[in-house]
Amino acid sequence: MPEQSDKSNPPEKELGLAPDPSPEEEPRIGVYVCNCGGNIGDVVNCKQVAEALRNIPNVVTSHSNMFMCSDPGQKLITDDIKEKGINRVVIGACSIFLHEQTFRQAVERAGLNPYLYYHVGLREQDSWVHYNHPEDATEKAIRLMLAGVAKARKMEPLEPVRLQAEKHALVIGGGVAGLRTALDIARSGLKVTLVEKSHFLGGRVAQWERVFPTGETARTLLQRLLEQVQAEPDITIHTGAKVVKTKGYVGNFQIHIRQQPRGIKADFDAVDQAIAACPVEIPDEFNYGLKTRKAIYQPYSGCYPAGPVVDWEHCTHCEKCLEFSHNHDINLDDTPIEFDINVGAVAVATGFRPYEPFPGEMGYGKFPEVITLPQLERLLAADGPTGGKLEWNGRSVRSLAMIHCVGSRQVDDVHQPQPDGQVNNYCSRVCCTATLNAANIIHERLPETRIYDVYTDIRTYGRGHEDYYTLASKNGVTFLRYFVEDIPEVYPAEKGSYYSMLVKVKDQLTWGEEIELPVDLVVLAVGMMPNPVDDLIGLFNITPGNDRFLLEVHPKLSPVETSVVGIVLAGTAQGPMNIQESCTAAAAAASKVVVLLGRGQVEMEPYVAQIDIERCQGNGDCVRVCPQEDAIKLETFSKNGTSFQRAVVTPANCNGCGVCVSTCSHRAIDVLGWRLDDYEAMVDAITAEIPVLEGVPA
Amino acid sequence: MKSDKIHVDTLVVGGGIAGMQASLDLANQGHQVALVEHSPSIGGMMIGLSKVFPTLDCCSCITTPKMAATAHHENIQLLTYCEVQSVTRNDDGFSVQVIQKPRYVIEDNCTGCRSCELVCPLDLPDVENEFGRTAHRVIYVPFTTAVPQKAIIDIDSCIFCGKCIKACPADCIDFTQTPQTLRVEARTIILATGFKVTPYDAKKEYGAGNLRNVIDAMMMERLLAPTGPYGRVLRPSDGKLPDSIAYVQCAGSRDETLGVPYCSRVCCMYAIKQAMLISGALPMADVTIYYMDIRTFGKGYEQFYQNAKAMGIEFVKGKVGRIVEDEDQNPIVRVELIDDNSRVAENKHDLVVLSVGMLPGYDTQPIYDVATAKDGFVQIPDSNVAPTVTTQEGIFATGTATGPMDIVDSIITAGAVAAEASAYMHLHSGSPAAPAAD
Repeated sequence: MPEQSDKSNPPEKELGLAPDPSPEEEPRIGVYVCNCGGNIGDVVNCKQVAEALRNIPNVVTSHSNMFMCSDPGQKLITDDIKEKGINRVVIGACSIFLHEQTFRQAVERAGLNPYLYYHVGLREQDSWVHYNHPEDATEKAIRLMLAGVAKARKMEPLEPVRLQAEKHALVIGGGVAGLRTALDIARSGLKVTLVEKSHFLGGRVAQWERVFPTGETARTLLQRLLEQVQAEPDITIHTGAKVVKTKGYVGNFQIHIRQQPRGIKADFDAVDQAIAACPVEIPDEFNYGLKTRKAIYQPYSGCYPAGPVVDWEHCTHCEKCLEFSHNHDINLDDTPIEFDINVGAVAVATGFRPYEPFPGEMGYGKFPEVITLPQLERLLAADGPTGGKLEWNGRSVRSLAMIHCVGSRQVDDVHQPQPDGQVNNYCSRVCCTATLNAANIIHERLPETRIYDVYTDIRTYGRGHEDYYTLASKNGVTFLRYFVEDIPEVYPAEKGSYYSMLVKVKDQLTWGEEIELPVDLVVLAVGMMPNPVDDLIGLFNITPGNDRFLLEVHPKLSPVETSVVGIVLAGTAQGPMNIQESCTAAAAAASKVVVLLGRGQVEMEPYVAQIDIERCQGNGDCVRVCPQEDAIKLETFSKNGTSFQRAVVTPANCNGCGVCVSTCSHRAIDVLGWRLDDYEAMVDAITAEIPVLEGVPA
Repeated sequence: MKSDKIHVDTLVVGGGIAGMQASLDLANQGHQVALVEHSPSIGGMMIGLSKVFPTLDCCSCITTPKMAATAHHENIQLLTYCEVQSVTRNDDGFSVQVIQKPRYVIEDNCTGCRSCELVCPLDLPDVENEFGRTAHRVIYVPFTTAVPQKAIIDIDSCIFCGKCIKACPADCIDFTQTPQTLRVEARTIILATGFKVTPYDAKKEYGAGNLRNVIDAMMMERLLAPTGPYGRVLRPSDGKLPDSIAYVQCAGSRDETLGVPYCSRVCCMYAIKQAMLISGALPMADVTIYYMDIRTFGKGYEQFYQNAKAMGIEFVKGKVGRIVEDEDQNPIVRVELIDDNSRVAENKHDLVVLSVGMLPGYDTQPIYDVATAKDGFVQIPDSNVAPTVTTQEGIFATGTATGPMDIVDSIITAGAVAAEASAYMHLHSGSPAAPAAD
């Protein structure tokens, strides 16, 4: 076994022989062909494949089975290992993304090194793509399996690279999902650092009025969560902070953070005067532009951390606020600080932003009477711009229309795409119940107000959500249904009309009748879009899906894990969710982090570059092409009094990409587990005449 | 080997997907877990399904590896064919009395070789797994992928001919077995007691179970499953390949007359999924879905729905009022077509599938004193922030025990409940939840 060292244990500088890659024991190969419940078996004749492999040199046994991944299927393998002395396992089945771990565990349980199993992707690479050509697919399956056997002959036992793991996690985002993740990780005994790019915690929930299905105000919910987070000594919070650089891998990420200063001391006592003195007026994002704020501001009273901050982007340095500042309470020359932390895992809880309708979309931006649902929530909130009164142009709203699916369930050629050319073809799942919740609140406060609900499908799917629908119906909300081909039109009524706006709906509930709704206010139930996180996508090498939300590995097998081990997703960064779903997903993400780091040690794949130091000439091509930091470098060795340079790999930093292999003109580098010889043998096996192949020596 | 007294960190009740995932997440954090399952195999409702939305993965390919991982985990002890009898609180948590029901087969010795099945002379309808559409012997391994692979005897039907005794190579048949009592000491309990479907014969307007070609969606899952009774979709009355199949949505959800006012949230997606699978299995067949609202709200679900529409599956808005049958037992669906000038239509189909909803699988009140809400599912007082915390300290709930949800959401809540239970144990003992580095 080649010794693999981690960073704390650098390779010794003495010249040794490269280990012999050829296995000492005679390969005894077990071949297993999975029907995959018809996924493979309906196209590929698995029995025939198993038969064809039976007489190949080194193949001791060959089976086909309905589900190799099931317990009886696994038992077939473990029994063969124990009873028939199988020492190499080749399984033709789904993809390694689905069940590599499953079969590794089975093989290991039977006492074999888990890397002595090879997985042939008969589903994705054969049956699914050639479903119209069963005979050819069967032949291809045989060839792929032959290649697997050729590889199996050359497989060697490997050990995972084991590394010390920081028992410390980073949570990015201070909304409910981030807070919940931080809390759950810390409560299980790990340290947590939470960074939030704004200066205040609470995210979007802080802007909401009353939440379903509990009916409590969003503020009390948030307060409860914040108190728990503050009481947790193992959570460190940095607001106004962003991740700007990252390095490392699971167990040991080095995170560089830049934190904007607040500019104002927490105990500053002349806040109101300073704010009043500030001459800057900009739209207040906390109130979705329904009012303005100054360049010194706090989003709402009772926010956490308490006290105002300087908006550095908009501050003109006029220094009018400094009149009220004693003891340097306000410091307009404050500068960002930068620092590093080391963490073992990262939870991305960067949240969502409401869909912003295009100018003129259903009258938005063109007529002040057209607002979004989040804006309506601000109008309903006691600390909102109207003090919770639903007023428009100085009088109570007498009639309003709420239009669903604005920015959700969009269709190409009907809706205007986002800058990336894609429409939002997904359901935002929160808006239906949120809209009905708001409708019921309005009815409670203004029972005389006429409410029209213009929908496509009412999706009150969650526990207790249907009650909101039922209540809205009882409250006299009028429902109209539109099809996406006939988007409702919003336009002003004639001057002097009793209601200023009209909404024209082709209503499917009255068999396609065109109905004009006279209203004071139009509320667009806008959907969710992910907060832009291109920087984090680049820094962590994680992937967004077609809907731009961050992508999990598999919705059932790894529902909160990204393709980068050690980076997990929490909440609406992954897709639309309500508060309950965000907290659930956050707790699940925390659970995975605790699993990863709880032992203080992580295991990584052994597929790292290995230098044949006899062949290496030390010309450094590999060092120049390596895309990783500190994965491969030249070190000086000496033998018989002469000193020379040779390449040395740090396994912990190598991701096994193989670029160094392709560039080495002396064939002195191989990736463990995937040697060039392996590929050659596999290619030979795939292209060989099948009958002739039986004569090929092992 | 089970001892009479088992000490664990967490007792998980229910071996469906939520219970298995919660057990795995806790065990992977280093906690000791006992998993109690009332039926002879773990796997729950999920193992009976065909393919799963929205990925259309074969369901067994997702479930069976989880079952195997659960069974082989060094920190998980499986207690199948067991039921919790009583729970008492003590200083360290809970003392739980568990009854091990007799299999009449010595579990530790049975290898699942199925020699007994070959010689047993009696067949019984397989009601548990196949709605009586196939048979199993009186002594049988519950199903091909069951975990554990241990035989069980339906003692009420056994004629005690003794053939299995002679055939068994491991000498593990024991007709004298009686229920055994085990005691499990656990610091926390997780309820993953799952759901059952609304009975398909509950609604008299839909034939009250008397129409042979009206089946429910769970039966259709078996017809579509690769391990199913016929290996293809046949209609029950005459074994004909159906040319026209209809789905009746909300047949047991959003229906006050059945006492189920809530949405069961999985039925839209499973109906669309089944419609797609039928379109694959019977390319010439027409599939119609009668619905009130299509609720494809999950990640990737709306696109799934749009794909189904593009495949030619017909979606008709309207609540089906009545189903009758003609002389050839073809179901006739009476429905008001809202999309089509309010015409009342009577549409003849070959086969009708009722998209039945979810009911609580188990009442947690009597034994656990865990309150249930008016819908019968476990009550979650702070459902937004603490979605797995019940009214009883130290007892948590996950999966469909807390309300209708699909597999994706069950797996997520299972991860969440593991975090909640782990945090609780950490807070209440001071000892680290996870073991130190070795």
